[in-house]
Amino acid sequence: MSSNPTTPFLPTTRREFLRRSGGGLGLLAFSRFAPSFLVQSTLAATPAPEKDRSILVLVQLAGGNDGLNTLIPFEDPDYYRLRPTLGIAKDQVLRASDTLGLHPSCTAMHQLLQDGKLAIVQNVGYPNPNRSHFRSSEIWETASASDAFISTGWIGRYLDNACTGAPADSHDPVAVHITNGVPQSFVGEHEHPTFGLLPGGGNRRDNEETRQLLETMISKPAEGTENANATFLKHTLMDALVTEKKVQRVLDVYRPGAGANYPGNPFAASLRNVAALISAGLPTRVYFVSLSGFDTHTNQVRQQANLLTQLSDGLAAFQRDLEAHQLDSQVATMTFSEFGRRPSENQSQGTDHGTAAPLFVMGSRVKGGLHGTAPSLKLERNQDLTFSTDFRQVYATALDRWLDCPSQTVLGGKFEPLPIV
Amino acid sequence: MTLSFPATEAWQPLPDRDWNAAAAAHLLRRTGWTARPEDVDRAVHDGLAATLDRLFPAEASLLPKPRSVARLEEEGPKLIRAAQQMTGDDKVRAQRESQERARMAVQDLSIKWLQYAARPGQAALAKWVLFLSDVYVVSADKVKSAALIYDHFDLLARHGLGPAPVLSKAVSRSPAMVIYLDLNQNQRRAPNENFARELLELFVLGEGNYSEQDIKEAARAFTGYRAQPFQGGEFRYAPAQHDPGPKTIFGETGSFTGDDVIDLAYRQKAASTFLPHELVKFYLSDSPLPVDYLAPLGEDWRAHGYELRDLAQRFFGSRIFFAPEFRGNFIKSPVQFYLGLVQDLALDVTPLARFTLNPLRQMGQWLYYPPNVRGWVGGRNWINSATLASRRQLVESLFAPVNEDSLNADEQIELVAARTNGVTDFSVSDRLLEGFTPLDPGAAAGRLVNRFLAVPVAPAFRDSVAQFIAASDPEPTPRLRRLRRAAVTLLQSPEYQLC
Repeated sequence: MSSNPTTPFLPTTRREFLRRSGGGLGLLAFSRFAPSFLVQSTLAATPAPEKDRSILVLVQLAGGNDGLNTLIPFEDPDYYRLRPTLGIAKDQVLRASDTLGLHPSCTAMHQLLQDGKLAIVQNVGYPNPNRSHFRSSEIWETASASDAFISTGWIGRYLDNACTGAPADSHDPVAVHITNGVPQSFVGEHEHPTFGLLPGGGNRRDNEETRQLLETMISKPAEGTENANATFLKHTLMDALVTEKKVQRVLDVYRPGAGANYPGNPFAASLRNVAALISAGLPTRVYFVSLSGFDTHTNQVRQQANLLTQLSDGLAAFQRDLEAHQLDSQVATMTFSEFGRRPSENQSQGTDHGTAAPLFVMGSRVKGGLHGTAPSLKLERNQDLTFSTDFRQVYATALDRWLDCPSQTVLGGKFEPLPIV
Repeated sequence: MTLSFPATEAWQPLPDRDWNAAAAAHLLRRTGWTARPEDVDRAVHDGLAATLDRLFPAEASLLPKPRSVARLEEEGPKLIRAAQQMTGDDKVRAQRESQERARMAVQDLSIKWLQYAARPGQAALAKWVLFLSDVYVVSADKVKSAALIYDHFDLLARHGLGPAPVLSKAVSRSPAMVIYLDLNQNQRRAPNENFARELLELFVLGEGNYSEQDIKEAARAFTGYRAQPFQGGEFRYAPAQHDPGPKTIFGETGSFTGDDVIDLAYRQKAASTFLPHELVKFYLSDSPLPVDYLAPLGEDWRAHGYELRDLAQRFFGSRIFFAPEFRGNFIKSPVQFYLGLVQDLALDVTPLARFTLNPLRQMGQWLYYPPNVRGWVGGRNWINSATLASRRQLVESLFAPVNEDSLNADEQIELVAARTNGVTDFSVSDRLLEGFTPLDPGAAAGRLVNRFLAVPVAPAFRDSVAQFIAASDPEPTPRLRRLRRAAVTLLQSPEYQLC
């Protein structure tokens, strides 16, 4: 970051750019590499961004969250038969219905449920479940059948179909991920401006310093005649740095709304950053954040309680924040995990890889409460749950009813939407 | 592009007076993944000819078959036969399970290959095989067998420095290829042209150097080639499926076999320049060399019996290869970017798909899964905002310790197993830069720049790095931290993407 914030190294908005160039500075006066979006938008009067479009926030619970101890069938003796030590007692659960209740760590989510802002879709999975983290994540992210292999992600295909009306700054990201690496969900047939932040914002100082030094390096004249590939790379990187800087500016000045108490963990920081970008009016339609550590083969009790606390408190702060900024009607937030866990607990106070699990959809325009049906627990030892709602039905709902995109084109088949929104 | 040498001089050996550290670094970066100072010193000391002998040796050191692949090779056919006996859901489940095991084995093979290729002594050969696999393309997506993919790459390594016609004949019998290009479906009464077409178009001659009739006739010559992936996967010749009748190919008529077709193809003039053209594209430049430049190289290659080792040594030892217009202007592939980082930072390949194969995929190169029969396009196609961001994230991740709490249980087991085998350096330690701390900032910046970048940079560029290193820092070990961050930034710079 420049030492004087009023004279940044590069203009970060078109207006700023025009103001400067209007003041007698030519396009190339401030940098030998004018970001392409600036060049383009001086050539064509592009339309203003639509700032009231619906937005989807995806929350990945990586590792396979144990569904049975998230939404607990406390009246079912089979549950306690399968979970002799890990079973959560009836008087501990947070009631969602006469027979089902949330994990005791989910107090904030329980409040959202009572306020009608949290939908719980029960027993979500897919036919012929795969129990490999790698493969099952791939199935969820590409929205494929378990025996089909698709190279593009479902969000990528949504972007392929939906982004014909380009946003005002053609460089503004249409999808943002706050994960290490680009989620497979984002991979499309075509290239789209997506943007990634490190979880928890990464190390702020490191990022700033690196960006500043990269900008300085790029601005130095080359030694001798520069080759065309070096110019091309500098141009591409400069474009990315402009977006990054714009994003950083937004995150720096952001003040969460009244009552939004984000806990001090990287997951909550990611959600805070999503709220900041949404409130800045970016044309981004999809955000992707991740919370990992759900692979609870051992010592599940403490680990899952800790993770669900982070999830619950983080989501609630995020919702509160959006409400304070009156953005809540624009946003729906949805969790997913590659699989649920085995109904029978194992010998190490944990659970092994399983199949179906509940997922959550949060938002002010969401139809709160329980959806779908609970799994049957009439199971032998080590048998798995049989799903009752296909995850692609949830995706179809998000596409058709939230993002306004025909789901069949994206999912390659017809899946019955759910009455969640 | 203006070329420094006329076509008549381009392929002359580099004069001794031009062999120096910069030339050696160029050679090592282009034939391998990067140029470590100790390897540059050795190359300068040994001389160009001896270095080329070492990079492209008569005896190849091969990647041993990974245990997971061998085990599946043994059990796979049994599993599949068992599945065939089953019915209904059981059958579907068993088939899916064997498919899944095959994918996991390909994943394991990919990691083993990266570990093999990362050793500096094996880099040139590994890259050469990667080059050949970008010509003789197969994809695990269709072949679905780690053992056959392994065999195919093994074959490319074994024959990769011998005569090209022998290599092409071996490839025509590679079960992975037989499956990938549908030779399996090539029947006497219903010839399938897929292999014959790609043989002429993508392996030996190039577009425009054959007729549709040549392809039809060549397809007949290749009838009877079989490989059953689920019965051990060996190549088999089925004489009853072979069409022994006369064929007319390139104007000659005879009862040609597949091998005859390959010999006939190499007798065409275009064969002498086709592979050199591919070599230029993979190793030298995005823009092709003019045909009159390729012709003398091709003629010489043909005169040497199409020996690939001769071609490689002539090519990489030539004046044009070292010409200034080809220094530091080639965009690294994701594999080179990753393995270059591993070597530059003295790291081990992390044996976890999430930390190695996933970043490669995000950067656009999924090992063993090329996008189509043409392989990867390369050059600027490697770079867009998303892939560049992935490259930058990879650098950051190599400088941060692996967060073991966030690992899945199976990943933790892999990591423990690797450590037991002495594979421990998964992220950059302070050791790497400790030697730089006593230097003054200018000298440290100069050394970092020289160490990492193939592109010459202006003094002002180096000064900006020096100023960065010199700046005050609140950390307990300020200089070390500034050096680390300077290194991270240099590795993310446009210049480091080039070789």
